[in-house]
Amino acid sequence: MGLAVLLVVLVVWQFAPLPDFILPPLQILKDFFQALGTAELYEHVWASLKRSLPGWVIGSALGATLGLAAGVARWFDRMFSPAVFLTYPVPKIVMLPIFMIWFGIGDLSKVLIIALACFYPVFINAYYGVRQTRTILVWSALNMGASRAEIFRRVVLPSAAPMILASLRVSLALSFIVMFAAEMINARSGLGHLTRMAENSLRFDLMYVALLAIAILGYAGDRLVRYANRRLLAWQEQPA
Amino acid sequence: MSERFSRFVLPFALVAAALAAWEAAARSGLWSKLLFPSLVNISREFVLFFSRPESLLEAWVSLTRALGGFALAAVVGVLIGMLMGRSKRVAEVLDPFFSGTYAVPKLALFPIFIFLFGIGSLSKVALVFLECLYPIVVMTYSGARNVNKVLLWSAQNMGASRAATLRRVVVPATAPFIFAGFRIAVPVAMIVVVITEMVSSADGLGYLVIYSLSSLRTDRMLAVVVVIAILGYLLDKAVVLARDRLIYWEKLDTYYV
Repeated sequence: MGLAVLLVVLVVWQFAPLPDFILPPLQILKDFFQALGTAELYEHVWASLKRSLPGWVIGSALGATLGLAAGVARWFDRMFSPAVFLTYPVPKIVMLPIFMIWFGIGDLSKVLIIALACFYPVFINAYYGVRQTRTILVWSALNMGASRAEIFRRVVLPSAAPMILASLRVSLALSFIVMFAAEMINARSGLGHLTRMAENSLRFDLMYVALLAIAILGYAGDRLVRYANRRLLAWQEQPA
Repeated sequence: MSERFSRFVLPFALVAAALAAWEAAARSGLWSKLLFPSLVNISREFVLFFSRPESLLEAWVSLTRALGGFALAAVVGVLIGMLMGRSKRVAEVLDPFFSGTYAVPKLALFPIFIFLFGIGSLSKVALVFLECLYPIVVMTYSGARNVNKVLLWSAQNMGASRAATLRRVVVPATAPFIFAGFRIAVPVAMIVVVITEMVSSADGLGYLVIYSLSSLRTDRMLAVVVVIAILGYLLDKAVVLARDRLIYWEKLDTYYV
């Protein structure tokens, strides 16, 4: 049913009279496969991934560590969490110009801005994940003579894990958005840069190639994280 | 560590330390004023921001774009999410579409939107709409799909019509989810507006950030960043306030309301 609707949309799109800047799907596919044969596309994809993946890893690792710490240690929670929750609704991308001044206009400032953006959802989920640990489980562990470290590793961590892993999915999507934005604002390579360049020189074919590439990357990344989620949480009851 | 110390001093300790470190860096003379403008200069620029009608106008432009796109997404998103949640057939068609393209950065469509809707506000509002639509649809759908069956059966049992069931059971049960979606979407709206304004550089707060940077006024730039931060914070507060008013029967028990 869904497939049929999609097919109808694609056929209409292919044959409807459209302005120059909306290419028909078959044309886009043709351009894309042509671009796959050139080195240029891979260079841009690589440049983009080199920014987004380290940013995602650094931001998520920091977010998970500090979020767990804030969930476990009250003094750290009181010191650190207010600052995080206060700045949470702020669009992190506005820090890009400052980061560019501090860390240069190269990749470092972009990696750090992506890390900053990824930090928030992971921190918040790790924090709530810990706080949602059922007290009865902690009591049982204490009763059975578990040490604090053991309780953390065998009770708190497993109960926070689903929320942390769920936030990794959010932060991955976020890392692609921020990467793309940073590259559109200032970069000499990457898919965001390619899109802007194509737009400025009215190379609509290139524009769609970049669009399709980022779409595939986003989709594939999401699938991978979801697959990892299912594997890592195999012990958990799966929601339907 | 005494309880009082930990409750009243610690929350401000980190922020105070960060500000002090900043000011120290600004005054140490080790770095250029461009890198760390003094807090005094930033606050002065912040006050100046509110005394200049043209900068207030830029803020207004950004705000209307964000709210316009968000409002459109709220109406359409709740409608789609409700339809998906209450009708299997609609869900079958739309769910693969939304979950398949969820992780794709819609921002990549911006150049196409510029050709479609022009360089002005419309292309930005359209992109805000699209980015906000996803969280609202997904959250509304998951809420409307999981309405407690017992409540639905009771309503039917008591002879409620379909319209009455929808209005008195489904909508109230879904409302917390709808607001959770709104809460995700509001910061997204701000982000998208600022990004698009930074990219297309013609007006709005995002443009002001880039403009101040390229005229090497980092103190002014940081003041604008603070304005954007405050706007983002206030919008989030507004959503939480509206939520607590409308969904008075279920308090949001989170840390940061």
